[in-house]
Amino acid sequence: MNSVLLINGLLGGIVFGMVYALIGASLNVLCGVLRIINFAHGEFIIAGGFFAYVMLTFLGLNPLYTLPVAAAAFFVAGYGLYYLLIPRLARSDEPETSSFLLMFGVSLMLVSSMIWIFEADVRPVNFSFDPINLVLFTVEDAYGPGRDGRVIVPTARLVALAINAAIIIAMTWFLYRTLPGKAMRAAIMNREAVQIVGIDIHRLSAWAFGLAAALAGVTGVVMTLVVPSIDPNGGADFTLIGFIVIVLGGLGHPVGALAAGVLFGLVEQMSNVLLPQAAAQMLGFMILVAVIFFKPAGLFGLERSR
Amino acid sequence: MARPRLGGPDAVRRLIWYGLVGLILVWCAAVPPAGGNLSLYFSLMMWVTLATGLNFIAGFAGYMPFGYVAFYGIGTYTTGIAVKVLGLSVYAAVPIAGGVGVLLALLFAPTLRLSGIYFAIVSLSLAIICQRLVSLLPEEITGGSLGINLGVITIREHGYYTMLLVLVLALLTASWLARSRLGKALKAIRDDPEAAEAMGVNVPRSRLFAWLLSALFAALTGGVQAWFTGALDPQTAFDVLITAKTVIYAMAGGLGTVLGPLIGTVVLVWVDELIWRSFPVLNNFLLGLIIAALILFVPRGIVGSLMQRYPRVRRYIM
Repeated sequence: MNSVLLINGLLGGIVFGMVYALIGASLNVLCGVLRIINFAHGEFIIAGGFFAYVMLTFLGLNPLYTLPVAAAAFFVAGYGLYYLLIPRLARSDEPETSSFLLMFGVSLMLVSSMIWIFEADVRPVNFSFDPINLVLFTVEDAYGPGRDGRVIVPTARLVALAINAAIIIAMTWFLYRTLPGKAMRAAIMNREAVQIVGIDIHRLSAWAFGLAAALAGVTGVVMTLVVPSIDPNGGADFTLIGFIVIVLGGLGHPVGALAAGVLFGLVEQMSNVLLPQAAAQMLGFMILVAVIFFKPAGLFGLERSR
Repeated sequence: MARPRLGGPDAVRRLIWYGLVGLILVWCAAVPPAGGNLSLYFSLMMWVTLATGLNFIAGFAGYMPFGYVAFYGIGTYTTGIAVKVLGLSVYAAVPIAGGVGVLLALLFAPTLRLSGIYFAIVSLSLAIICQRLVSLLPEEITGGSLGINLGVITIREHGYYTMLLVLVLALLTASWLARSRLGKALKAIRDDPEAAEAMGVNVPRSRLFAWLLSALFAALTGGVQAWFTGALDPQTAFDVLITAKTVIYAMAGGLGTVLGPLIGTVVLVWVDELIWRSFPVLNNFLLGLIIAALILFVPRGIVGSLMQRYPRVRRYIM
């Protein structure tokens, strides 16, 4: 194994890991505040990717400029979806399991609408920076004497990394330093107590749904920078990665999901380098099962307060 | 809920139920000689069996196995490998498929300690692990990602009648379970595990039994399906949609009732056929819409809602 491959694996792990962290964080906001498991989360992300694709292809807009538009559009969609679906759900016998199924139905609808609109092909998002790649540094004699190896990163991935870091900082600031953010964390800790102190739980939940949808949409846009193509059928993979990340980080623990996301990204990318592909995919699920059995509160989780 | 009195209403209910099972038996058995649509009836019987099997663990015991397809998939692969690689007769392969399904369920039994959404997520992950594992195994055994092509093993009717046999077994097991002590123990666990335990119910053993029964019928169904269609591959054998459809059919009818999964499947498979014929593009969209609408508006399913609204119905159906 040579060091160039390993360093590339590490870098890829950090870039993908930050995306997974964002997926996990938004999924966890939903899971914590609303006690629902969003099976359609991956489709929200894919829809974000198509948003960037449409903006780029038909309006010629740089996906980066469309970020705020995407955030606003997805926030409104999520806010509306909350009032359409969730208050009715709360009346069922088992809201968690029912939400799993309900959102599975929503995900089927989203996938087939996207296939209907964009057809079942993988769409390229032809957007490039100048220069396309950056040479970070050179490893001397990596492939034997006199043959240096260069560690190259696509510029788009570095941009994605920077945007991701900014979004994560903004989200953490929102959750810890603003009043609505604090209310959301309070609702994660104790949904009943929050209502006693006079917070309108429905409005707060609708905000949380909107926030999660906005984050998912933005993640989709950022994802087109990391992997420059969108597959309407690819949502399920993101959903499953999201599940792994939130279980690793602790269900309903948005900041734990950040660390878990980066960790999972590193594991995934490194095992892509070191193991055959199907084995690398299996690894994530095995970690998930192991964590649920041996440390159900998650690797970074506090004790679950319900 | 009051214990059903012996004689009286229970006898009426049983008469209606066994009459219905007999009718299904005669009707489905008459399809091949009458030149009916074998594939349509086969898939109908297959889904009723799966939904009834899922009901044992999901409806009676209250665990939602989102990776139910794992047992179905392992069943198809057992038949495939037994026939193609080991050269066994398919008549021996199907019972073996059931046995392998039960073994897999024993292996997964520790997951029953988890509850609610954790159980659902782990179950889903285990099904995905099974799928990846099957495609990782040597190609001489599982055929890799291309799967196994069995071709025509026997005349199609034999596979069809075996499915009918499995279906009738599943339906009879359901009505036996609902009336048995075990079934009542399971419902007690579903409604309140601590209270059930305090009343002397052996919680781990009861739910393990339901779990194994569920797995058995899924694996048998998978085993017969591989025989009937003659081909299998990891993508379709472990498709998450199979679990989803099974759950939806069972929920549409009413989880926890004996009649529910049967009614739900027959209604929805019929609707599915109509949708396919009229709107092939939007098939999955409408399926998703039906799921969402069911959960929001009839969470107890057709039979469950009927029982809730008209308690007298309980006298006639299980």
